[in-house]
Amino acid sequence: MQDNQKIKEYDALVIGAGIAGGEAALNLANLGNKVLLIDKDLTVGGKMIMLSKVFPTLDCSACITTPKVSEIARHSNITVLTSTEASDIIQKDDGTFEALITTQPRYVVVEDCTGCQLCEEACPVNVEDEYQYGLAGRKAAFIPFSIASPRAAAIDIENCTLCGACERACPTHCIDFTQTEEKYTISCKTVVAATGFQLFDPTLIPRYGFGRFKNVITSMQMERQLAPTRPFNTVLRPSDGKMPDNIAYILCTGSRDKTVGTPICSQVCCMYSTKQAQLLMGALPMADITLYYLHIRAFGKGFNEFYAQAQSMGVEFVKGKVAKITEKEDGNLILRYEDINTGKVTETEHDMVVLSVGILPNEGITGLFTNRKLELDPFNYVSQSSPLESPAMTTVDGVFVAGTASGPMDIPDSILSAGAASSEAANYIRKVSQNKVTV
Amino acid sequence: MSNGNKKTVLILKEKRQVPQKVKDNLKYFVKIKKEILKALKDKKMTVPELSEVINKPKDEILYYLMSLLKYGFVEVDGIDDMDEYFYYKLKDNG
Repeated sequence: MQDNQKIKEYDALVIGAGIAGGEAALNLANLGNKVLLIDKDLTVGGKMIMLSKVFPTLDCSACITTPKVSEIARHSNITVLTSTEASDIIQKDDGTFEALITTQPRYVVVEDCTGCQLCEEACPVNVEDEYQYGLAGRKAAFIPFSIASPRAAAIDIENCTLCGACERACPTHCIDFTQTEEKYTISCKTVVAATGFQLFDPTLIPRYGFGRFKNVITSMQMERQLAPTRPFNTVLRPSDGKMPDNIAYILCTGSRDKTVGTPICSQVCCMYSTKQAQLLMGALPMADITLYYLHIRAFGKGFNEFYAQAQSMGVEFVKGKVAKITEKEDGNLILRYEDINTGKVTETEHDMVVLSVGILPNEGITGLFTNRKLELDPFNYVSQSSPLESPAMTTVDGVFVAGTASGPMDIPDSILSAGAASSEAANYIRKVSQNKVTV
Repeated sequence: MSNGNKKTVLILKEKRQVPQKVKDNLKYFVKIKKEILKALKDKKMTVPELSEVINKPKDEILYYLMSLLKYGFVEVDGIDDMDEYFYYKLKDNG
C-alpha cells in the first residue's frame, strides 16, 4: 500500500462517472473548475454505455455516451480516476472538504496501453464476463468492452494464474504486476454524489426461477443481447442457443412490491421493456413478444406514442401479475397469471422470459462522510432537503446529488438532474472561494 | 513493464499464491476448448449437436462456444432448416 500524503486540490469531487456524474463533471469543468471524477469501475460511462438503444427515440445509447465520455477523458479541467473510491470525507469550517481517495491497482499503466488486446489474446484464462452479465466469458487480462474509457487493459488479479503471458505479449511493456493500492487525500470545495443505482436481484423472488431456469433472464441481460457489442451472435436462449420465438416480459420485478422491500415504481421498466420489445421485433421478426404488466406508466414526452407504436407493431400487452413460472423439459417456461381483464387464472407457454428488474439505490454513500450526516429518504436514496427549491440540495451544505442517486429516473431526467447539481455546485464553489460559507 | 530485467509477474508470484479454483477453472476451460474445437474440426455443428458429442449440458456449451466466438476461434455458418439453431464452424484464421 502506498500512502501519498500530498494533498491534491480540486474545486469539485464528483463521485460516480455514469451519465449523471459525467454530465455534472463536464458542466463544472466547462465553467473553469478543476474536477476530480472518480468511479469504482474500470471505465467511465456507467450503465448507460452498456445499453442498446434509448427510449423513446431509439437512438443508439453508445453513440450518445461515447462522445461525452471522450470529452470527459480529454477535458483539461477533469481528472478521471477509475477503480477509485472516496471515503472519510470531512467538511471543514470554511465549507470545503477533504476526502481520502483509494485507487485499486489495474496492473496496467493506462497511459502506455495502446488497447492492442495482445495481452487478451495471450491470456489463457476464461471467466464470466461481468460486462456481459455472465452470458459469455472474458480473459483475466482484458479490456472491459470495446468502447470502454479508458480503452486500456486491466488484469483481473483474482482470476489471474500469474503465468506472465500477458506481460510477455505486451509490445509497450505497460503491464505492471508491482502496482499496489494507492491512497491519498484531496481537498475540494464541493462534492457531487452521482453514485447511480443498482439492479434488483431477482433471486429474491424465487417463484420466477431466475438462477434455476436458464431461460429466465434479466432485462439487462437482454439489453446486452440487443447491443452491438453483444455476447452472442444474435438473441439466443441461454439454455441451448435456440433463437427464441415467443418471449415474455414480466414487468415490476422488484418494483412496487413491498414483499421484497421495494415499494416504489422504478420509473423506467415499462418503457425499457417496450423498447426492448420493439427491438426484438426487429431482431427476430417472427417472434411473439408479450408484456405482462400491472399498469403501463408512459408518463414522459413521447412515451405514450412509443407504447402505442409497440402495440401497432404487434407487441402484446397483458394486464396481469405473474404468480409463478415453471420449467418444461425442453427449457420452455409456463407462466401462471391472473388476466385482470378476464378475471381468469391462465397459463401460457413461452420459450424465454425476461424479468424487467427494478432499480435500487446504491448503498454506502452515507458512510463516506465522517463529520456530517448525509441523510437518506425512506427508500434509501439520497435525501433531497428541498426538492422544490433545488432538487440537487442534500442535507449537507456543499454536497449535491445528481441522477439516480436521488431516486429512480430515466436518462434525460438524470442529465437534467446533473445540470441542477452542477449549477448548484458551481454556485457553492463561488461562495466558498469568496469566503462566504461558514458551517 | 519490466522491473530491471525481471518480469513483474515474477515479483508478484513471490508474494501471491494462485488459488486452486483459479487453476481448476483454467484446466477446465482448456479441456472444453479442445473438445469443442476438435468436434468442429470436421463439420459445422449446432449447440445441441455439440452438447451430444461432448456430453456436456447445452447451456455450458453455449457459454464456452460464445467465448470462443469472441476470441476468434469459431464463427457462425448459417442456421438450420427450422430457423432455430445456428451452425458454428472453426474460423479460418489463415
